[in-house]
Amino acid sequence: MNNSSDSSEDKGVVIQVKNTQKETVNDFLKKAMEQGVFDAVLISMKVPAGDSFAYVLLTDKELLKDTFPLPPIMSVQGAKAISSITRRGKGNKKIAAIMRPCEIRATVELTKLGQIDLDNIVLISMDCFGVMPTPSFIKDPEKSLKKFEDAIRIEDDTVMRPVCRICDKSSMVAGDLHIGTRGVQKDAFFIVSNTKKGKDILDKLGLISNKNIDTWLAKVKENAKEKQKKRKQAHKDLQSSIKNLDKFLDTFSHCINCHNCMRACPICCCRVCYFDSDKMKHPSDDYLRIAKSKGSIRFLPDTTIFHIGRMVHMSLSCVSCGSCEDACPMSIPVAQLFSMTADETQGLFDYIAGKSLEEPLPLTTFIKEELSEVEDVHD
Amino acid sequence: MDRKIGVYICECGPNIAEKIDIDKVIKAVSPLDDVSIATRYKLLCSEQGKKFLEEQIKKNGLTHLVVAACSPRDHQHTFMTICENAGINPFLFQLANIREQCAWITENKEEATNKAIRLTKAAIGRVRYHVPLEKKEIESNPDVLVIGGGIAGMEASLHLASPQRKIYLVEKTSQLGGVVTNLEKTFPDMQSCPKIIQDKIDQVTNNDNIKVYTNCEVTEILGFFGNFEGTVTQNNNEDKTTVGFNVGAVVLATGCALFDPTDDPNYGYGKFDNVITALEFEKMNLAGNIRLKNGKTPKSVAIIHCVGRDKKGYCSEICCMYSIKFVRYLQNKIPEIKISNFYTDLCLPEKSYQKFYEQSRGKKNDFIRIDSIKITNPGNKLTITHNDEQGNKKSHGVDMVILSPALEPSVDTKKLAEFTRISQDDEGFFAEEHEKLGPVTTSTEGVYIAGCAQGPKSIQNTLIQAEAVAGKILSSLIPGKKIEPEVKVAHISESFCIGCKTCLTVCSYGVITFDSTKKVCVANEVICRGCGNCVAACPSGAASLKHFTFNQLRQELKEAVL
Repeated sequence: MNNSSDSSEDKGVVIQVKNTQKETVNDFLKKAMEQGVFDAVLISMKVPAGDSFAYVLLTDKELLKDTFPLPPIMSVQGAKAISSITRRGKGNKKIAAIMRPCEIRATVELTKLGQIDLDNIVLISMDCFGVMPTPSFIKDPEKSLKKFEDAIRIEDDTVMRPVCRICDKSSMVAGDLHIGTRGVQKDAFFIVSNTKKGKDILDKLGLISNKNIDTWLAKVKENAKEKQKKRKQAHKDLQSSIKNLDKFLDTFSHCINCHNCMRACPICCCRVCYFDSDKMKHPSDDYLRIAKSKGSIRFLPDTTIFHIGRMVHMSLSCVSCGSCEDACPMSIPVAQLFSMTADETQGLFDYIAGKSLEEPLPLTTFIKEELSEVEDVHD
Repeated sequence: MDRKIGVYICECGPNIAEKIDIDKVIKAVSPLDDVSIATRYKLLCSEQGKKFLEEQIKKNGLTHLVVAACSPRDHQHTFMTICENAGINPFLFQLANIREQCAWITENKEEATNKAIRLTKAAIGRVRYHVPLEKKEIESNPDVLVIGGGIAGMEASLHLASPQRKIYLVEKTSQLGGVVTNLEKTFPDMQSCPKIIQDKIDQVTNNDNIKVYTNCEVTEILGFFGNFEGTVTQNNNEDKTTVGFNVGAVVLATGCALFDPTDDPNYGYGKFDNVITALEFEKMNLAGNIRLKNGKTPKSVAIIHCVGRDKKGYCSEICCMYSIKFVRYLQNKIPEIKISNFYTDLCLPEKSYQKFYEQSRGKKNDFIRIDSIKITNPGNKLTITHNDEQGNKKSHGVDMVILSPALEPSVDTKKLAEFTRISQDDEGFFAEEHEKLGPVTTSTEGVYIAGCAQGPKSIQNTLIQAEAVAGKILSSLIPGKKIEPEVKVAHISESFCIGCKTCLTVCSYGVITFDSTKKVCVANEVICRGCGNCVAACPSGAASLKHFTFNQLRQELKEAVL
């Protein structure tokens, strides 16, 4: 037993890497399954055709050897997968979900929105170096995968998606356990527990958190700081590209109204999107009236209001995961715009989406002094 | 749908006519779709004006009405009644406020006119999408459950009880009267208190329309204004008997408790003999037995005001006055006694309090302002050490110390707030609906607060509140009269709801419940007050408010802004 008074936050478990990091992570999961710590694992795997990746709920531990914990693309946001599994309530078996930090954060938001039951789920995150844009990856999957692996080796984020390049939360944020690969020797990585649930699992596996993790912490901090700087600059540049209404409308003007961004978004968890519903179908006289007042009206209607409406509904929970942008067939920088807006709106409430399960959603709390920044000031 | 919208612009005498070019407004709105008539009138709220409008609706076969005039607070009701009289649903009406929000505040006539055009267009844009709403009526029960048999609860009960209205008065202890039964006299008139309170108790117990439950606690309250179900449990015997009854309103008159001075070791309460609380002193005085622990009469007394005020963060309003009353008690009963009052601030409001204080000052009675105080007991002599206003440390030896502690919410406040779905303020007292505009009503219609349950209060202010509560109930819960629940209520669409329960956390009225089978939230329209919180917070567009639907607001905004 670890009797040291150090909190688990500043100590971790060191796991020696055999062959590759990926294999060692899989070995860890296999061992946990063998010991009955988890009954199933939700993890990414190459699709049979070999040109993409998908989440699988895996109960046969022998299949773990084929899994891919940090795939080069985010074809499905992991939070959506967990929500599919537990939307109707928790199951009896323990499931470990191995995901990226932004997927874990979306999971936390969906839990607060009642779309996930985390009772029998163990969330395991890993240091993330970003993913490639899906459209560019699938042009030549084999070559792209090599490019991705090379990029990680030399820590070059230029091949990653724009939102990944400015992600300042690419390490442990929430979740129960975290696998830290930054700032460690090539032949080892850290496992750090973040919750009691996480610590209990390490205990059950006989893993003692007694190793100094300062090198990891320092590297994570350094990376976050650098990314924050880049993020600020990127948002500033972006802001100038939409700084008036015309420019803003121009940005969305080639939207084809496919609503893919909404479907790929983990936070957009409505059963029916309001904008797809009959409530947004109006009598033809209404359209004629608008046409009459403006000379003409664009069809399909409600293209821009859809994006603004979506922004209003989800920006407080947006985790900047980039799924929407990957899904956009017209290459509109939706994720970049949404992440910029999210930083602002969440900042107003001193809220960071997905950081903590205990922190209530901003719209469910009332603090008198809140929002003074946006109030009209009358003397 | 064939709509015939009539648009009537009120000149409001010179109020609107002089500030806005009404003809220009008429010209701008006349060609709009569905507008079948747009015209002006001198004063639509006058008797002639009302008649004119009613005739116009009938003559022109209007289906919808828009009036551009004053604030809805002034005449919305007037014009809705006209619609009803003329045979159209009153919710097919919209009032554009071109007086308060336009004529009175926009200096430039051209700007004011343009704004009036936008506001009127917005009203037309909105009224097109109004749907008829029907008023509902439900039976109501005029009886009242009063919780707390102190002065507030008794007073409210006496005002409310009548052959048409039964009162159920529930008291937790074995007798009526509450904290006031411990007092010998009241401030500032120094009238004998036991007689006043005994009279009240007799009136209550002799009143056939008041049913008193002593040794009882309220264990459940369900329902809504006009139809609450209360359950009361007897707590003096082993087998807990429960009684249930149906009432139309609930009065919370549970009084308050005293701050426990042991929470602050500086006061030495519970540690040293002869350090007592104000209530203990009242009891001692009422028994005619102001004595030290050793049986001797005290020669010197310190009265310490503001005990616990720092921790509580509020002034308890009555401590200064009853402390001065103690000075009177002591001077009266032990003429030679030396009294020192230690206070941080004196609170002497009301028309007679200042005089009461001035008349109580004397040679043997000091009022000393302090900023910190500590009571010690060296050599068995109570010693008060304090910093005076100049910051100098001083010490006094006294025989007895009386602590005047802050008033705090009584222990049952939290439980009852949950039962009645009302909130507690930052200090833990029941929260009134509005500090100034709704001092005895609460966020739950039909639940009222009287006395110290709402915050520290003197007897006179407690009685004022009890009377106000009675007035509110007498005027709204009339025997034999049905009540009209709010029509503009929230509705949660089952097919849109994702069951995130966000609405549940923001509803102040306990309207929403979660259906765990369907995994959706459900709103009880009968108790909804139509505040719209759930609509604003719903992330999936499932919650909507009748008469304020997304489409209605959108159409209104579109005309106002674009």
